[in-house]
Amino acid sequence: MSDADSAEGEAIDEDDDDERLFSLDNNENGDGDARVTGLVQGRHIVTPGELVTADSMWMRGHGTYSVGVKSYSSVAGTITRVNKLLSVAPLRGRYDPKIGDHVIGRIIDVGTRSWHVDIGAKQAAVLMLGSVNLPGGVQRRKSESDELQMRAFLKEGDLLNAEVQAVFTDGAASLHTRSLNYGKLRNGYFFTIPSSLVVRSKYHTFELPGGVDLVLGVNGYIWLRKHTQQLGEQGVSITRLAEEAGWEIYSDENEYISVNTRESIARYANAIKALEYCEVGVNEARIIAAYEASKEYKSPGEMIENYVKKRIVKYVLLTTNG
Amino acid sequence: MASRIEIYSPEGLRLDGRRWNEVRHFRCAINTHPISSDGSSIIEQGNTKVICNVIGPAEPTLRSRVLPDRVSISVKLVVAPFSTIERRKRPQSDSRIQEMCSSIQHVFEDAVIAHLFPRSQIDVNLYVVAQDGGVLQACINATTLALIDAGVPMYDYVCACTAGMLDREVLLDLNRIEESAMPFLTMATIGGTRKVALLLLEMKVQFDRLESMMAAAMSGCHHIRDLMDNEVRKHGKSRLERGSL
Repeated sequence: MSDADSAEGEAIDEDDDDERLFSLDNNENGDGDARVTGLVQGRHIVTPGELVTADSMWMRGHGTYSVGVKSYSSVAGTITRVNKLLSVAPLRGRYDPKIGDHVIGRIIDVGTRSWHVDIGAKQAAVLMLGSVNLPGGVQRRKSESDELQMRAFLKEGDLLNAEVQAVFTDGAASLHTRSLNYGKLRNGYFFTIPSSLVVRSKYHTFELPGGVDLVLGVNGYIWLRKHTQQLGEQGVSITRLAEEAGWEIYSDENEYISVNTRESIARYANAIKALEYCEVGVNEARIIAAYEASKEYKSPGEMIENYVKKRIVKYVLLTTNG
Repeated sequence: MASRIEIYSPEGLRLDGRRWNEVRHFRCAINTHPISSDGSSIIEQGNTKVICNVIGPAEPTLRSRVLPDRVSISVKLVVAPFSTIERRKRPQSDSRIQEMCSSIQHVFEDAVIAHLFPRSQIDVNLYVVAQDGGVLQACINATTLALIDAGVPMYDYVCACTAGMLDREVLLDLNRIEESAMPFLTMATIGGTRKVALLLLEMKVQFDRLESMMAAAMSGCHHIRDLMDNEVRKHGKSRLERGSL
């Protein structure tokens, strides 16, 4: 810690008797461990500069900083504990990429042998030319001509879904689309919600009633599209899937989308926005429940009213939480 | 103006009925513009009203902004033409506005734990909607709340307050008329500590009177910190109750 920090530490020390500072390892109670567990269950809020613990037995995680043996919260949020690791999860914040996350991104820049992708994180993610499937199959080698025609595959403004392959030490993510579940997006509608509202689950692509597919990016980017048959459903053998994937996976052409499908997409979008408005976590069951609830309104346009949003979410919470 | 209006009555009451050590009516709100920004806040101190939007930490818009080891903070301050009694448009290049931007930027470059987000940028957009003295302090307080709302790690709150000296009397948290009648300073402290993040005094004042002004301003800062802390906790609690976390 620098000099400035230790000076600040001394200044803070004077406040130790202040009742707003909340010490976890309270000696009067004797059992610091029990105190923390109680806190996590009680979901106590800490704010920047608040003492989290003065005991050196704890490891300090994200959302904390330390001065000597004392650690303080650096964000407003709740304390979470994993074994001996104490961290503070902020109430709000940008998306923090984790390996394996299914995300949606938008190409912002085409570089040499890589694309820069906006995924709503603190830094832009990189998508290496080597981590995409090119027409002609997985086994195909990337040649210099591929480097030159990168814009033919993905250009600025294109949307794609991908998986986080690695996270660098500075927090930037590296993506890959080496599966037919991932790749360029078309035939649909894009919008965003705060990433904190998306519940991480095993799958993030859903086939919803009404002929609509949903890609619910963990980063809060959402894609609703007309349901299309995946290559696997067309009777191509699983081993030859990648070879069958031709140039159409990078096509920009939208297919014909019927009025009914368009209306369903609008209804789903407004249903998710209603959940967002009420700051309720978004998952498949809730989206479908909100969609069903919205059917009492004839046009999806009616769902933009705030009282309608509240009504729908109230219904959703009643039905999905049992 | 000062000669005609009694700034501080012999009974110890000011123009708006406050005592010397009372801050103006303080109202703040956090997460006011959740769609358009990562963090947002509104501050009202008396009749001064400031809106703050924070965007980031995000990918820098300009390559020149990229710092290899820390986040870069840029502050934009817009003073609305209708914010004072006389309607006047102030350009972005106005030297007073530029000066305020750079002092806010310097304060928060030290208050934010900058090394956690290398090669990224935080944009702070401040809108002064109404001004009645203490614009800089309101801007600093609004920025603190908006950064907290954005989930940006900070060492502590940064809270600011003004104090002025009329003859031998210290007055806390001046309004516009009081500001024009006496020398005053703006102070920002790191949370409830005695550590000073900013001290701005643009007028002449006798050296031996400075200390009492600083002491008053500091107690005002600590008071404002508690008010802002209450609001953050209230907001956090309501989010928890809604089960959005």
